[in-house]
Amino acid sequence: MKRHLMGAIAAGLTVALSVSGCGKGSSSKGDGSDGKTIKFVAAIYSDNTEPYWQALIKDFEAKNAGYKVQLEMVDWAQMDAKVKTYVQTKQVPDLLNYNAFSDFARDGLIYKASEVVSPQVLSDFSPTFVDQAKYSGEQYALPFISSARLLFYNKALFKKAGIADPPKTWADVKTDAEKVKKSGQIGYGLPLGPEEAQAEFYSWAMNNGGDWVDGSGKWAINQPANIETLAFLKDLNKSGLTQPNPETTDRKTVFNQFAQGKIGMSIGGPFTKASFIDPAKKNIDFGVAPLPTKAGGDPSTLGVMDVLASFKKDGGKNKEAVTKFLDFFYQKDNTAKFLTKEGFLPVTKSANDLLSADPYMKQFVDALPTSKFAPTGNPAWTAVAGAVKQSLGTSVADGDPKKVLDEIQKTAEKSG
Amino acid sequence: MHDVKPGVRDLGAPAPRSRPSAARRAGRALAPLLWLGPALVLIAVVVLWPVVEMVRTSLLKISSSGVTLGSTGSRNYLDLFDETDLIPVVLRTLLWVAGVVAITMVLSLALGQLLNARFPGRRLVRWTVIVPWAASVLMTALVWKWMLDNYSGLVNRLLLDLHVIDHPVNWLAHPDQAMLWMMWVAVFVSLPFTSFVILAGLQTIPGEVYEAARVDGAGTLRTYFGITLPLLRPSVLIASIVNVINVFNSFPIIWTMTQGGPGHATDTTTTFMYKIAFFDQNVGESAAMAVVNFVLILVMVLLYLRASRWREEIR
Repeated sequence: MKRHLMGAIAAGLTVALSVSGCGKGSSSKGDGSDGKTIKFVAAIYSDNTEPYWQALIKDFEAKNAGYKVQLEMVDWAQMDAKVKTYVQTKQVPDLLNYNAFSDFARDGLIYKASEVVSPQVLSDFSPTFVDQAKYSGEQYALPFISSARLLFYNKALFKKAGIADPPKTWADVKTDAEKVKKSGQIGYGLPLGPEEAQAEFYSWAMNNGGDWVDGSGKWAINQPANIETLAFLKDLNKSGLTQPNPETTDRKTVFNQFAQGKIGMSIGGPFTKASFIDPAKKNIDFGVAPLPTKAGGDPSTLGVMDVLASFKKDGGKNKEAVTKFLDFFYQKDNTAKFLTKEGFLPVTKSANDLLSADPYMKQFVDALPTSKFAPTGNPAWTAVAGAVKQSLGTSVADGDPKKVLDEIQKTAEKSG
Repeated sequence: MHDVKPGVRDLGAPAPRSRPSAARRAGRALAPLLWLGPALVLIAVVVLWPVVEMVRTSLLKISSSGVTLGSTGSRNYLDLFDETDLIPVVLRTLLWVAGVVAITMVLSLALGQLLNARFPGRRLVRWTVIVPWAASVLMTALVWKWMLDNYSGLVNRLLLDLHVIDHPVNWLAHPDQAMLWMMWVAVFVSLPFTSFVILAGLQTIPGEVYEAARVDGAGTLRTYFGITLPLLRPSVLIASIVNVINVFNSFPIIWTMTQGGPGHATDTTTTFMYKIAFFDQNVGESAAMAVVNFVLILVMVLLYLRASRWREEIR
């Protein structure tokens, strides 16, 4: 009996100790003690990402004795949940690689850009991206990588269908898609599933004069130009010129099909070649052209930018180490290495020239000046993008474009 | 002063005699705590605390970045009940739970019977039934997602070759078909646990009862409905309650196969909750959904328990 009692007590104590022990262990881990060790949460873009950061950090630590960078790699699929948890449990990293920053700036969680990089680095960012990194007039985010979208078309399918040039207008897109369909393949690959519905939609809407906001910066998601855009895409779908069920198709599915030579046209980015077309080993003969516009005017391209943001911690003790690390990363060669490995476009003037050497990449670099961005400086954007991902696709299937956009507009106004 | 002391000692004398008995009584009353303590602590930390935290969160205003901005009272609940998608999602969830659990129970009763019968290779069959249980639900869902793929799915290939369909069907893009397929996957992963609970139940039924029934001339059907099923009631009860809770909270199957889409057409309350937090960036409202979900499960289980005990009394 006594032995059992002792056993029970021992078990109870073990549980109690291990529970409290766990709690302590994880809470004390986040605090950088001397301000020389920083935690960096980086997103996984591809298999190349982690080795790149490991090598860079090793190099950094060798050249800056006493400074340490703890790297944590997070998959994009888990990023949102992780970041929310960090903030809510007050265990924010010193440096975060993410695709949004304005709500951190609004809630006073991150440093201004000028506080964590040297003036040289700050002045090296291309002006287009600096504009996107601002929250109410102040630059908070550090542009990290950028990307642009262009129309990919399969030259072999175009030749077979008797099409000479890539389409310039929406009417061209429809006729070309019809011709490709007649020759037995899918005319246009339209991904409006949750993965990136907002990017595909905006790529079309901006070339019809549509936008997320009006001239004064207020949400104008249900404006006529946007409704018209969806009506056009719906017509493509209902005429059987797209792949089946655009409302549930993600970008990766469309690009895998494009890489297999089964899709005539689709909108892609610089990463499309390295991530989809090359691995498929089909050697398809593809071309890249500006995005088609409604009436054939000057085309715009969709600009996308990911950022680095540095969280305030311990009354600013981490600033020095973060600055050292960021200045190191933004050295021309270090940045360019990341961009070429991952297939992204530069955000700094100094890396611009390095990347323009590759003719494939040059087309995207050249398109950057015409790029339009989602309103990422508005803290409500993430919620709006979320609403778009969830429901925009239904508008080209059974939903009514106007009603779907009205709903998203309502969400946008509710979020601020 | 000196002579007072003995007096004091005298006054106090009865006390030491009764004090140990009071302490012993208290000790005896507290003794079970030594056994219960660890379990109680565990329950408090692992079960109660998260529930309290969930309810607390549902009453807070939390900014999109994750910062707590203070209390909002019932605002999150009002927002939630204002969602046009809420009612269809709740109804779909009830249908999903009822459908999956009912089919699972019926199939498991049959499967349990099979596993209980003596036949060559029984051990092999028993092991086979465990496989879907041992495999990760996420992997099972992913495998089914690919088998149902529009372009390269095995299901389409098979049905095309058998001339059941004449062009590929994008199964998971159509809400009704997608729902049926996901229910099938949910049944598939729930079967092992359920049929083994049933099997365990079957093995507790003593052989004499069947012998007596045989002597009385009861047929197979009569024996099954008159003896096996009633004696299985505890197993069926446990299995269905565990399944109801599991299926209700099932996230990976739906999230992997359709993400609740298109739109909200295949969402259950669990995936809906996730979308509110991570697409709509509204953690508070998501917590409110979690509380509603919690209450729904509680009510369902209580109703079920009530119904089954009520039957017991009638008998």
